[in-house]
Amino acid sequence: MIELSITGTNAITFPHLEVWDWRIVIYLFLGGLSAGMLVMCSIANLRIPKQPVEELAQCVRAPFIAFIILSVGAQFIILDLGAPFNLYWGYLTFQPLSLMSWGTWGVPAVLFANALYILAVIPNEQRHRLRFPFLIKISEKLVPKMRPIAKLNFAMGIFLGIYTGVLLSSFAAIPLWNNATLSILFLVSALSSGAAMIVIIAKKAEIKFLFTKIDIWLIVAELVVIALFFYGLYTSTAPYKRAIEPFFSLTSEHFIFTIALISIFLLLPLALRIKLGELKEFEDGFHGEFTRAQIFRMNFAAILVLTGTLILRAAIVYAGQLTKLSFY
Amino acid sequence: MSITRRDFLKIAAVTGGVAVAGTPVVKSVLALGKKPVSLPQYVPTTCEMCFWRCGVIAKVVDGKVVKLDGNPIHPNSRGKLCARGHGGIGLLYDPDRLKTPLINTGSRGEGKFKKVSWDEALGYVADKMEKIKEKYGAESIALLTHGTISTYFIHLLQAFGSPNFAFPSFALCRGARDTAFEITFGEAVGNPERVDIQNSKVIVLIGSHLGENAHNSQCQEFAEAVGKGAIVIVVDPRFSTAAGKAKYWLPIKPATDLALLLSWINVIINEGLYDKEYVAKYTVGFNEVASAVKEYTPEWAEKETDIPASLIIETARLMGKNKPSVLIHPGRHTAWYSDNVQRQRAVAILTALLGAYGRPGGIYLNPKKKLEPVFLSDKDYPDHQKPEIHKGNYPFAGEEGLTHAIVKTTLTEQPYPIKGWFTTGINIIKAMPNQRDTLKAIQKLELLVAVDMMPYDGVILADVVLPECTYLERHDDLFTVKERAFGISIRQPVVQPMYDTKPGWWIAKELGKRLGLEDHFPWNTFEDFLKMKCETWGIDYSELTKKGYISFPESEKPYISADNEPKFKTPSGKIELYSKELKDKGFDPVPKYTRHEQPPEGWFRLIYGRSPVHTFSRTTNNPSLWELMEENTAWVNAKVAKRKGLKNGEYIVLINQDGVKSNKVRIKITERIRPDCIYLVHGFSSTSKLLRKAYLRGADDQQLITRYDIDPIAGTVGMRVNFVKIAKEV
Amino acid sequence: MPRYVMVIDVERCIGCMACVIACKKENGVADGYFRTRVVEEVRGEFPYLRMEQRSELCNHCEIAPCIDACPTRASHRAKDGTVQIEKKKCIGCKACILACPYDARYSTPEGVADKCSFCEHRLKEGKSPACVETCLGHSRIFGDLDDPNSEVSQLIKKYDASVRLEFAGTRPRVFYINKKFAGGL
Ligand SMILES: Nc1nc2c(c(=O)[nH]1)N[C@H]1C(S)=C(S)[C@@H](COP(=O)(O)OP(=O)(O)OC[C@H]3O[C@@H](n4cnc5c(=O)[nH]c(N)nc54)[C@H](O)[C@@H]3O)O[C@H]1N2
Ligand SMILES: Nc1nc2c(c(=O)[nH]1)N[C@H]1C(S)=C(S)[C@@H](COP(=O)(O)OP(=O)(O)OC[C@H]3O[C@@H](n4cnc5c(=O)[nH]c(N)nc54)[C@H](O)[C@@H]3O)O[C@H]1N2
Ligand code: SF4
Ligand code: SF4
Ligand code: SF4
Ligand code: SF4
Ligand code: SF4
Ligand SMILES: [Mo]
Repeated sequence: MIELSITGTNAITFPHLEVWDWRIVIYLFLGGLSAGMLVMCSIANLRIPKQPVEELAQCVRAPFIAFIILSVGAQFIILDLGAPFNLYWGYLTFQPLSLMSWGTWGVPAVLFANALYILAVIPNEQRHRLRFPFLIKISEKLVPKMRPIAKLNFAMGIFLGIYTGVLLSSFAAIPLWNNATLSILFLVSALSSGAAMIVIIAKKAEIKFLFTKIDIWLIVAELVVIALFFYGLYTSTAPYKRAIEPFFSLTSEHFIFTIALISIFLLLPLALRIKLGELKEFEDGFHGEFTRAQIFRMNFAAILVLTGTLILRAAIVYAGQLTKLSFY
Repeated sequence: MSITRRDFLKIAAVTGGVAVAGTPVVKSVLALGKKPVSLPQYVPTTCEMCFWRCGVIAKVVDGKVVKLDGNPIHPNSRGKLCARGHGGIGLLYDPDRLKTPLINTGSRGEGKFKKVSWDEALGYVADKMEKIKEKYGAESIALLTHGTISTYFIHLLQAFGSPNFAFPSFALCRGARDTAFEITFGEAVGNPERVDIQNSKVIVLIGSHLGENAHNSQCQEFAEAVGKGAIVIVVDPRFSTAAGKAKYWLPIKPATDLALLLSWINVIINEGLYDKEYVAKYTVGFNEVASAVKEYTPEWAEKETDIPASLIIETARLMGKNKPSVLIHPGRHTAWYSDNVQRQRAVAILTALLGAYGRPGGIYLNPKKKLEPVFLSDKDYPDHQKPEIHKGNYPFAGEEGLTHAIVKTTLTEQPYPIKGWFTTGINIIKAMPNQRDTLKAIQKLELLVAVDMMPYDGVILADVVLPECTYLERHDDLFTVKERAFGISIRQPVVQPMYDTKPGWWIAKELGKRLGLEDHFPWNTFEDFLKMKCETWGIDYSELTKKGYISFPESEKPYISADNEPKFKTPSGKIELYSKELKDKGFDPVPKYTRHEQPPEGWFRLIYGRSPVHTFSRTTNNPSLWELMEENTAWVNAKVAKRKGLKNGEYIVLINQDGVKSNKVRIKITERIRPDCIYLVHGFSSTSKLLRKAYLRGADDQQLITRYDIDPIAGTVGMRVNFVKIAKEV
Repeated sequence: MPRYVMVIDVERCIGCMACVIACKKENGVADGYFRTRVVEEVRGEFPYLRMEQRSELCNHCEIAPCIDACPTRASHRAKDGTVQIEKKKCIGCKACILACPYDARYSTPEGVADKCSFCEHRLKEGKSPACVETCLGHSRIFGDLDDPNSEVSQLIKKYDASVRLEFAGTRPRVFYINKKFAGGL
C-alpha cells in the first residue's frame, strides 16, 4: 500500500483534473455535428455530377443549420474561457503546435467557408430573404462556384471533425486522450452524427434514404473504432491501461462511465438495427413517399445516434480527466 | 551566479526600523502618468506564533503587511520562518479577531456580549477586583497566563497582592524536563533547548517529533544533521516525520519509555560504553545507578516495550560508540504520564553517562553573559497575607506554577477561595486537561477576565474580554536569547493596531491606574521603558530597532574545555546521577520503572502531537494556515481499520472511558501507528461560534482527556492516560 | 544566460510546509490556490515503513507542453530559459493546465493561468526564490546549472539526480536527489 498525503493542492488538478467541463463537451459535440453536416451535405451536393448547378442544391438547409450549430458551439468555448476579453491576443499570432490556436483560427475559417456555401446553395426564389443587396449580389456570383465551394466545405468539415478529436488527443499528459485513434473516433462519430442530423432535417425522401445508408457504414465504423480505442489503451503501458478503468469499474464514483459505455453500445447498435430494417423494407426500390411511422423510425434512429455521440464525448472528456500520467 | 541572503540584509539595514511611518512613494518625471509605486518597508520584529520567538522582518507595502521573512542574523530563525511564522499575516487580517472590549450580558459561557469602551470595561474589571479583594483578599484573584503578555499581568497581579499565577508551560509542557535537568545538572536545558543537533552523530528522539514540532532553528539543525548522515533513532508509537528520517524507528508501546531508557543505561554500563573519564570527573552516584539498573536488562525491556532486545542493544552500542556526540533529546512537551520527572531523569543520566553534556553534538553550555535585571518598576510588591497556592504540594514545582493547582483550589476553596481569574494568552479549555473541572471551577468565580486577540474557547466564557492587538502591532519586553551566543531581540509594531485593540502593557497599565497602582507603571509608553532598559544594558536602542537582533558573540562558550570548566549548580556541585535531594524528599534517587495501565481489549490509547502548520489551538482559525489543514484526522492503524470495516476519510466519533464523545473527525487509515493507539493533532474543534473557520472542525484531544495523572515530584501532568474507542458517526 | 534549476534533496525535506505558504505570500497567490505543494509518500507495512517527503512545483521544462498548448503565447519561455505566463495575453482556455503532466498549473480567480515562476522577480533582484530562502530543511536548492561550481551542479553530478515522470519527455529543470539511495539499489 502506498499512503499519499499532499499539502498545497489546487482543486482544478487534485484529486483529479477538473479543467474542462460540460461546456467543452457541448463545444465538441456541436463542432463535430456541424462538421459532419458539412461533409454530408457537400457529398449530397457533389454526388450527381451532371445536373445543372441550379438544380444541384440537394441540401439547402443543412449548411445553414450547420452554421448555426457551429456558431452556438463556439459560444460554449468562449463561455469556458477564463479571460475572454483577452481573446484578441489569439488573433495576433498563430501557434502551429497549439490546437487551441488552430481552433481560434479554424472555427472562424470554417464558418466563413460555411457562409459561402449557404450563399452558393440558396435557391433563386429564396434569395430575396438575404435582405442585404450586397449579400444577394455575392450569392448570385457564388452560385456557379457551388461545386468548388462544396468541395471546400467537405475539406473544412473533415478538418473540423478531426480537430475536435485532435484537440483532446494532443494532451500528452492525459492518457485516455493521448492517442491517434481518438481523432479517428471523433471524426467518424462526427460524420455519423452529421448524417443522422441530415436524416432528421431532410425533407426529400431520397436524401433521407441516402444518409440512412451512409450512416449504417459510419455506425459500423464507429463501433469498430471504439473497440479499437479501448483495446489500444488496454494493451498500452500502465497509465494508459489505468485510463480506461473508469469504463469498466463498478465503484460508485465511476459507475457512471460504465453506464455511458453500455449506453453507447446499446444506442448505436439499436440505431443500426433500425436502419438495417429500413434498408430491408426498401430493398426492392424506393417509392417516393414515407409513411409517418417510417419517418418517425428514421428520426428516432437518428436521435439515438446523436445521443450516442454526445454521451461518447461527455464520457471521454470527463473520464480523461480522472487519470493522469503520474499516479496521483 | 550566487544568491546570498546578505542582499536582503542590506535592504533591511537601510529601511528597517522606520516602523509605521508614511510609506515612501517613488515619484519620478519619467513615471509621469503612471501610478506612483510604493516602496516596500522592511521592519524587523519578533515572532509570537509560537514560543520559539524567531526574528522576523516584515515587508510592509502601503501600510499592509504583505510578507514575513526570517531575520538572517537571529539565531532562532537564521533567515527562515516556519509555516506558522509566515502565517502571521493570517492572524493580523483574520476577520474574526476581537475588535473591541466586550462585556458578557448573559450567563457565563452563553457568549452574549455587548461592545463597550475601554473605559467601561477596565472600570468594570477594577471595580470587581476591589470587591473580591475586600471580601476574600487579593490572593483570591488568580492568573492563568502564557506568552509575552504574562510579563505585565504577573506584575499587575503581584502589585495587587496575589502570588497565584500559573503557566501551562510548566505542568502541561516542559516542567518535568526542566525539573529533571535542574536536579541532575543544576540548570534547565533552556528554551530554545541547548541541543547541538547539527553536530550530533547520533540523535535519539523520544517522542520529540521534529518536523511536526516545527521549532524553527531546531528543525533546521535536524535536517542539517540528517543531511550530514547522522544516525537518527526515533522512539515513538507513531511513524513521525522524524521517524521517516531515522535509521531506527522503535515503535514503542506507549508509557514504557522509562523501561527502554533504563535498559539502555544497563547496556551502556554493562558493556563499559560510558565515558569513564567524564563520569569520574563530573558526576556523583555512578555506582548507585549501576546497581539500580542491573535488573533492567534488554530482555526484560523487550517485554515491557515491544522493542526487540537485539535492537535495544544495537542502538545502545551505537550511542556508546559515537559518544560524546550523542544527543538524547530532552524533549519539550513531557507531560505524558505520572513519572515524567523520573523518565526525564533517565534521559539526563544517559546524557551524562555518554559525556554528552557540554560536548559537541550533545548539549551545549549556556552562553556566558550576565545582564543586571531591569524591573518594570522599582516599587516593591506588597507582601501577600495568605500562602501561595499555585504550586500545590509538589516539592519541585517550578516558579511558573501549576495550572491544575489553581483549578483545584478554585473548586475546593481550600485553603481559601479563589474568586477571580485572569486568563491572558491562554486557551484554558484547550490547554488544560479535564474540561469539566475547568468549567465547574469557573462557575464558582465572581470574575473571569480574558485578554486575548481571538475569541477562542476560553475567551467566550469570560465576563469581560479585553482585546489585545497582535504581535505585529505592538511593543513587548525585550527577549533575551540564550542560543550558543547570547543576544537581545526586539518586538516592535510593524503596523498600527487595527480596530479598538491595545497592547498588553497598555491594558495592564491602565488597569493598574484604576486600581491605584500607577506607581508600578512608571513609564509612559513601553518604548520608553525599552529605551531605559537598553540604556542600562549599554545597548544601542536605535541599532536594535533597525537590526531586530543584537548578538554578543564573545559570550559563546558552548563546550567544556580546559578554560571553560562547567559549574553544576547542584548540591554536590557535580552532575547528580544519584540525587540525594530526591531521596531526602521521599522520591527514588535513581529512576525506577513503574508500569502504567494499558488499554483493555477494544480500546485505544489516545495520543496527540503537533501539525507543522498549526500552533495548539491558537491558529486553527488563521485563514493562511487553515487552508493548509482545515481539521485534524484520527490516525488509526490500517489493520485495525480493516477489521472494523472503516473507510479512509470517513467521519468517526471517538468515545473515551468516561463516555465523553468527540466531535466527528475524519479517519486517517495508516500503517504509521501502532494498533493500540489513536493519534490526534492537538488543538482542533473549537467550541466558539465566533470562529467561522475553526468552529467544530475535527476532534478535540483535550475533550477526551478527562483523566490525568500528576507527577508527585514536580506536579506535572500526565495527559496520555486516556483510552478511547471508535464509533461510526451518526 | 544562467540555466536556473532547482534541486530537491528529499532526504532533507522535513515536511514543514514553510515553502508552501512563503510562496503564496511572496507571490500574492489567492486563498485556496497554490503554486507549490509537499507530497508525503509512505510505503510498507507497520512496522517496516519508508517515507519520502518532497516538494513539487513547475519544472520549467526544457520541452514544455504547456507552451506548445498555448494559443496566444501567454505561456512562453523567458530569456532566462524559465517558463513564464504573461497574464495580459492569457485567455484562460486552460489548455496549458491540461497539457502539463505535473499538475503544476491552476486557474486564478481572475480566470487566467498561473504557476510557479521560479520567483522571477526575486531572481532579478539577485535573491533566491522565496521557497528556497525559507526552506527549513535546506531541501530546496536553487542555482545555475551552467556554473559547474554551483551547489546545484555539484549535487546533480554527485548524486543520481532524477526528474519526475522522465518518460513524459519534458526535460524538467527541477531535479530530485535522495542521498540515501544514491548509487545504491
Ligand atoms: N491535550 C493537550 N493539551 C495540551 C497540549 C497538547 O499537546 N495536548 N500541549 C500543552 C503544551 S506543550 C502547551 S505549551 C500548552 C499551550 O497552551 P496555550 O498557550 O494556552 O495554547 P493555545 O491553545 O494556543 O491558546 C492560546 C491562547 O492565547 C491566545 N493568544 C495567542 N497569542 C496571543 C497574544 O499575543 N496575546 C494575547 N493576549 N493572547 C494571545 C490565543 O488566541 C489563544 O486563545 O498546551 C498544553 N496542553
Ligand atoms: N508546529 C508546531 N510546533 C510546535 C508547537 C506547535 O503547537 N506547533 N508547540 C511547541 C511546544 S510548546 C511544544 S511543548 C513542542 C511539543 O513537541 P514535542 O516535545 O516534540 O512533543 P511530544 O510530547 O514529544 O509529542 C509528540 C509525539 O509523541 C508521541 N508519543 C505519544 N505517546 C508516546 C509515548 O508514550 N512514548 C513516546 N516515546 N512517544 C509518544 C506522539 O506519537 C508524537 O509523535 O512542540 C513545539 N513545536
Ligand atoms: S518557530 Fe515558527 S511560529 Fe515559532 S517563532 Fe519561529 S517562525 Fe514563529
Ligand atoms: S512543469 Fe508543467 S507548467 Fe511547468 S514547464 Fe513543465 S509542462 Fe509547463
Ligand atoms: S490558459 Fe492562458 S496561458 Fe494557458 S494556454 Fe490558455 S491562453 Fe495560454
Ligand atoms: S520558486 Fe517562487 S513561485 Fe516557485 S514555488 Fe518557489 S516561491 Fe513559489
Ligand atoms: S520548506 Fe523545505 S523542508 Fe519544509 S516542506 Fe518545504 S521543501 Fe520541505
Ligand atoms: Mo509546550
